[in-house]
Amino acid sequence: MWLGVAGFGAVIAAQAYAILTSPAERDMGHLQKIMYVHVPAAWMTFLAFFVVLVFSVRYLWRRNENDDLLAAAAAEVGATFNGLTLLLGMIWGRPAWGVWWVWDARLTSTLVLFLIFVGYLALRALVDDADQRARWSAAVGAIGAINVPIVYMSVTWWRTLHQPPSSAATLDPAYTLGLRLNAIALLVLMIYFIKKRYDIARLERSVEHMAEAAAMRGT
Amino acid sequence: MIESNPAFIIAAYAVTWVVLLGYVLHLVRRNGRVSAEYESMVLKISGKKK
Amino acid sequence: MELRAKVGFNSVASLGVTILVLLGLALGPDTDALRNAAVGAVWLAALFSGVLAFNRSFQVELESGALEPLLQYPGPRWTLLAGKLLGNLIFLTLMVGILVIVGVVLFGVRIPADWPSLLGVLALGIVGLVVMGTFYASMASRSRAREVLLPLLLFPMLVPVLLAATAASKALLGADLMHEAGAWIQLLAAYDLVFLIATFLAFEHVIEA
Repeated sequence: MWLGVAGFGAVIAAQAYAILTSPAERDMGHLQKIMYVHVPAAWMTFLAFFVVLVFSVRYLWRRNENDDLLAAAAAEVGATFNGLTLLLGMIWGRPAWGVWWVWDARLTSTLVLFLIFVGYLALRALVDDADQRARWSAAVGAIGAINVPIVYMSVTWWRTLHQPPSSAATLDPAYTLGLRLNAIALLVLMIYFIKKRYDIARLERSVEHMAEAAAMRGT
Repeated sequence: MIESNPAFIIAAYAVTWVVLLGYVLHLVRRNGRVSAEYESMVLKISGKKK
Repeated sequence: MELRAKVGFNSVASLGVTILVLLGLALGPDTDALRNAAVGAVWLAALFSGVLAFNRSFQVELESGALEPLLQYPGPRWTLLAGKLLGNLIFLTLMVGILVIVGVVLFGVRIPADWPSLLGVLALGIVGLVVMGTFYASMASRSRAREVLLPLLLFPMLVPVLLAATAASKALLGADLMHEAGAWIQLLAAYDLVFLIATFLAFEHVIEA
């Protein structure tokens, strides 16, 4: 619980710092401040996906149930951050480009990634047998994660081969500290989320085990 | 320079907090439910053993 | 068994053609608009009817209950996947062939001089489609809501194939001013290889009873 308090506290502090100390940007004005929530959310999404990959592969290798549960926890949290990233991208895009959506490389690949996450979670919801669910999610999670860089690359080519590259987001050093602080704060919060979700998963699995054992004893 | 339009900046932070707080609330509630289920399962099993 | 397979192919191929017709109606009747939409339309029709083919490829064993005995047989699992892959490859190649011919006619496509490269793109795209489709169908076909689960899992994963195949095809149908077809073809080939290996490795974990 204290991890959660620390996480939220850190995020509040980092956001306050960034908002108060960052000057208006050359082209975007204060709109740039959205970056402090949007970019860390995106980074957390990718990190969560990486965790899903690692523990999916680990599960297939060792068949330890906890690895599957941790992957599932990371997937749910990752999907949440992914959704947030998309929403924030749209909120930034509307004043910046005049439209709610553009098929640019980053937004589009983030959207595809979101669909991959959703597919993973749907699979888990639709498979009742715990062993099969674990094996299938691990396979889907690992193979899905392998596709992440490929999707990103192909969407980027799809855009840049026909469009001049949008102004490169070279970051003015004035903003990097604020960005890093927010990223670290959000990381602490995400670790808390994943741990809590994992604990829930462990409890649910225990309940399942007990129910199975009881059923077998004929009680 | 694009008009900074504070509404969007506020909206961004508002959405962020709604999602973060909403998710933690969801986790807390789900934890409560599962814990209760777990407790009752334990009671049921230890009750039957006697 | 063979008759059943033929019935399966006819209905799936018919569906693919129907989808193409609907796309033509929805996106036309302007000839230029249709010509631009041709590549996308053919691939989308292939994707939507393809999922039916993939689920069906596992359906036969499911219905006759033949999957369990097959799994008892102490052979390596990958031979099962290889068999399904080959079957789906043939099925999809025939179907996409039909869709391309119908698409060329309905959408007014002008065949370029470099049509062999175009065939290469089609082939690589079909391989990607079949490798992923067969793998995900091995799970989806045995789960609840298989009609929705297979597309839900499969389509996001096929984004690179869709982008690469359509971009390369459009380039080859046009003048390929930016010489991009080559890069896309390499991406397709790499994708096919990576996922052929990955799905083979993952298959034994997935196919256990």
